[in-house]
Amino acid sequence: MACEKTKMEDLHKYLDEEMTLLEKKQFEQHLVTCGECEKHLRELRKTIALVQSTSHVEAPADFTANVMGKLPAQKKSKKYKTWMRKHPFILAAAVFMLLFVTSVSSLWSGGGSHISVQGQGNFHIDETRNVVVVPAGETIEGDLIIRNGDVEIEGEVLGNVTVINGEPYLASAGYIAGETNEINQILSWIWYETKSFFGEVVNVFNGKSEEARTNSAPFS
Amino acid sequence: MDAVVKKIIMEVKKGDQQAFAELVELYKDKVYQISYRMLGNVHEAQDVAQEAFLRAYTNIDSYDMNRKFSTWLFRIATNLSIDRIRKKKPDFHLDDPVGGTEDLTYYSQIAADEELPEDKVVQYEMQEWIQNEIAALPPKYRSAIILKYLEDLSLKEIAEILNMPVATVKTRIHRGREALRKRLRNS
Ligand SMILES: [Zn+2]
Repeated sequence: MACEKTKMEDLHKYLDEEMTLLEKKQFEQHLVTCGECEKHLRELRKTIALVQSTSHVEAPADFTANVMGKLPAQKKSKKYKTWMRKHPFILAAAVFMLLFVTSVSSLWSGGGSHISVQGQGNFHIDETRNVVVVPAGETIEGDLIIRNGDVEIEGEVLGNVTVINGEPYLASAGYIAGETNEINQILSWIWYETKSFFGEVVNVFNGKSEEARTNSAPFS
Repeated sequence: MDAVVKKIIMEVKKGDQQAFAELVELYKDKVYQISYRMLGNVHEAQDVAQEAFLRAYTNIDSYDMNRKFSTWLFRIATNLSIDRIRKKKPDFHLDDPVGGTEDLTYYSQIAADEELPEDKVVQYEMQEWIQNEIAALPPKYRSAIILKYLEDLSLKEIAEILNMPVATVKTRIHRGREALRKRLRNS
């Protein structure tokens, strides 16, 4: 506590220049006559200067390496994505393999790839695009089964729609009362092949990376 | 500066672990400074500073990109330091010798590593004395004084780091200054 007339908070307010002009003038008048407050203020200024004079400390030289060595192992998917971004050539090779598998699979599916439809109502078959179209305003009373082609529904289907080796497209005005099923054996086969292919790529990569890590990172 | 930091954080969020090393490089000295000034011991400071970065890494998804990264990081470091102080024995004094082994302050460590001329030794002794007085402050005043006078942060930033109103930060700085004044005035 400074002198009897001054609150300690006032000294700090003055020090931090948080007083109004009037408060400041009054306090400065007091300072001229009060040795106690003047000394207190001087000591506070010296304290701050001393604290600020301590040089900044620096983290040890191996700090960053230590932190990096302690980070948890990256999630597989994230690691794989980062890896893919950094190795575009391998990615290109994988895409090539995928195309290769796709062409093999279309050979595998063999003949019988002609579009065919089962159902009753006014639909038409667009042979060039390989699409069955249910035009706007038309209603198919029962189920609709499409093989080896897609279906575009702009009108209504009151039964189920099943697409084998194709995809259904429902226009915004179109309506299907029943269920839509997509049976896509070739696609699922490709999907399965692709997944196992990529799984192997990732495994090979992981094995190598663990090895590289233990060689180049003595800290852990 | 902020744009660079944001870009690095985006990389880290996308899963590029190596990008995190750049963040550590940028902030390691400041984070280490906070933990060292709070704890007064190089080994503990290194421990806590490392832990702060590990927490930042594992919680990077919860960091709000619209806020200042340093504020978020310093908050983690300050909280970990305070936790560490709380876990110490209640009768533990910071100027007590630690475990009877070698001295563990920053300055004595530098002094042991290299031959120092006389005036440097005096300077280090002076700095060590000030550090000891800061470390002797109650932790709630200590954190406010460190963030204000050693990290040069604004009252608003300190308030965010310590999660308290600016008025409370001011009071703590005033009380901290008073306590230090009584200890340092006889120098
Ligand atoms: Zn007075």
